[in-house]
Amino acid sequence: MANATETSDVPRTAVRPADDERNVKLLFLVPAVVYLLLLSVVPFIYSVYLSLFDARLTRLDRKFFIGLENYQNLLTDPLFLKAIQNTVVLTVSSISLEIVFGFLCAKVFLSLREMRTGQVLRSLAILPMMITPICVGLMFSYILNPTLGVANYLLSSIGVEGPSWFGDPTFALPTVIFINAWQWTPFMMLLMLAGLVSIPSSLYEAAELEGAKWHHIARWIELPAIRDVIIIGLILRVIDNLKLFDLVYVTTRGGPGDATELITYFAYRQDFRFFQVGYGSAAAVIILLMSIVVTTFAVSFLRRNQR
Amino acid sequence: MNRAMRRLKTTTTLALSLAVVGGAAVAQDWGAELGDHSGVTLRVQTIQDPFISALQEMGPTFTSVTGADVTVEGFGYDPLYERQILACSQGSDEFDVLFIDGIWVGAFVDGGCIDPVEPLVAEADPEIIAMDDYIESFAGQAYWDGQLQCLPIAGYWHMLHYRTDLFEQHGLEVPETFDELMDVARFFAEDDGDPDVAGMAMNFQRGSAAGQQFFEWIYSAGGKPWESNYPGSPDAYADQTPLFNSSKAVEMIQFFKDMVPYGPPGVEQFAWDERANAFTQGRVAMINNWSVRTPLFADPEISRVTDSFGVAMFPHAEGAESVPPVGGWIMCLNAHSQQKDAAWDFMRWFAAPETHKDFVMLGGPPSRHSAMQDEEIIAAQPWVPTLYESAKAAWSELRPRHEMTFEMIDALGLQVNRAIIGDATPQEAMDEANENIAQMLQRAGLLK
Repeated sequence: MANATETSDVPRTAVRPADDERNVKLLFLVPAVVYLLLLSVVPFIYSVYLSLFDARLTRLDRKFFIGLENYQNLLTDPLFLKAIQNTVVLTVSSISLEIVFGFLCAKVFLSLREMRTGQVLRSLAILPMMITPICVGLMFSYILNPTLGVANYLLSSIGVEGPSWFGDPTFALPTVIFINAWQWTPFMMLLMLAGLVSIPSSLYEAAELEGAKWHHIARWIELPAIRDVIIIGLILRVIDNLKLFDLVYVTTRGGPGDATELITYFAYRQDFRFFQVGYGSAAAVIILLMSIVVTTFAVSFLRRNQR
Repeated sequence: MNRAMRRLKTTTTLALSLAVVGGAAVAQDWGAELGDHSGVTLRVQTIQDPFISALQEMGPTFTSVTGADVTVEGFGYDPLYERQILACSQGSDEFDVLFIDGIWVGAFVDGGCIDPVEPLVAEADPEIIAMDDYIESFAGQAYWDGQLQCLPIAGYWHMLHYRTDLFEQHGLEVPETFDELMDVARFFAEDDGDPDVAGMAMNFQRGSAAGQQFFEWIYSAGGKPWESNYPGSPDAYADQTPLFNSSKAVEMIQFFKDMVPYGPPGVEQFAWDERANAFTQGRVAMINNWSVRTPLFADPEISRVTDSFGVAMFPHAEGAESVPPVGGWIMCLNAHSQQKDAAWDFMRWFAAPETHKDFVMLGGPPSRHSAMQDEEIIAAQPWVPTLYESAKAAWSELRPRHEMTFEMIDALGLQVNRAIIGDATPQEAMDEANENIAQMLQRAGLLK
């Protein structure tokens, strides 16, 4: 009671508005926090928990604690290691293509920005990223079908025998990379175009007066100006590529052989084909850790640059 | 075959008319046997295979007898398995009757997803279920853990499908052995003067397609997948020591690899649909295929070879016998269903020989001795005598049926495909498959 009395002696007018304001803010955060806890944090914790068990979905009541054995098995599983390798190759290659072609396209659209045709073309150019990856996969399955596809038909009309794009291990992963880059180059292009538009025209004029060539302008003016934008795009695309699943599911199913096996497809098969939820959860945890490491590294790099 | 398809449609129309006219009689017969389930809606979950329309057309007849509405929902192969297992793990009663692939039975029993029907069959009138009338090679797939788990409803067997017009044109004999098969395939791929028609399409796609193909061919190659699994084995699971790298298995994989140049472009990525489509479109002279798709080849709306295809027994290696692959769908009672009485009534009604005949006449796959010998069915589906011969020569334990089936077939399919595309030699690929599968079985406690 004494404490209560003491508390009541504190001048209320000095503290209350700030406390109330803070409480109201916290209250507004509650739905988001609950949503995040229920849909992200709790499943993640459960995934980590399951990854420590030998567990099948059909008999979760009979699971056995095996500690880190699933992780140990994963890191010695040649298919999982190949999946990591393929994912890294796909991520690096796709994003490199997207940055190079995205920049070139952004330059083209920058020069066309005053023209009505340029605006129409820009709208058309971003269509690929509006299509769902499943549809993109199906579309390219038809286009690149070795017998009925238009790609090999056109190649044969100039005397070139088209390969089995998804069936030949030499072509399968490059084909998936090409499709992925085709779909997401417009995203990079948009980001870079926004960056290029913000460069003051006086810089270009000064460069021209100094006799700078196009590659000097690109190297010393444009790329430094849009570097942060590129890094943000890169972070988003790395995360996207680590999650890439639909395209491979529709076109190659990880084949031929293990040529297009990706970590997400590997985890999917463990969880939903074999119902080995312990092993699949361990794979999912590793994917998440990879995402966190890459993103943390990229964000810290970005912050360092901003300073 | 075109005439045959027209006959099938005429006969089916006639049968349906008779069913409508004689509806009262049918209802009276079954009315005494089955309960009144008015107000009940039974939900049947099945594969989106060609027989689904026949299954859907049968529903109203059951409704007229029992008052229960029947809805049938079809899904693709992989989505069906995933949905059924996920639903089972959640104790879902969304569907009452589940069609499952015979090779899934171990996983479903292990997960407590289905109620065994053996006690129900024991109580039922033996003439209604007529278990003896089911073809043994397929009926065996409905048993697990020593008892009948489901009813064997839609049996499939493999036959060699070939282009009669092309064989006649070039004076070729239908191949019986692997060597003959390769010679004929090579002829069509290289020497027949038609670059648009390949020799033979097979399932080479990584995963289930290539993995299942291993099991489909190994017995006819004179080999066996594991120690105690061979045609006529008293207990196929007694010793599961894998033999995927045996000399017979490696020779067979080499044969697969040698067949690749005689297939259509991209055959390394072919699975069931691609294989059937290639034949339907007249782009390949031969395929081995499940009988459920045979009626489609005779359908003028989708096929270009309606009048020009024939069927023959599955080929075999020199010195071995043809052991045609068997598969198909067994009808099971969902353990979590809240309407088990109505579901069981539907199942035993549907399984009865006369209902089965109606189902077959509507396009369903014949699975009973009586259906295979029925004159009307043979008149409508001229391939049935060859199918019956195949069914009698098949071995019911063709593929593994325990809870590790999917993993095992997938691991095998990866290595078979690697050998096909030249990523590994047949010996290297099969050695790796054998080692992986042995470890898998040991982890699951199926191998010491």
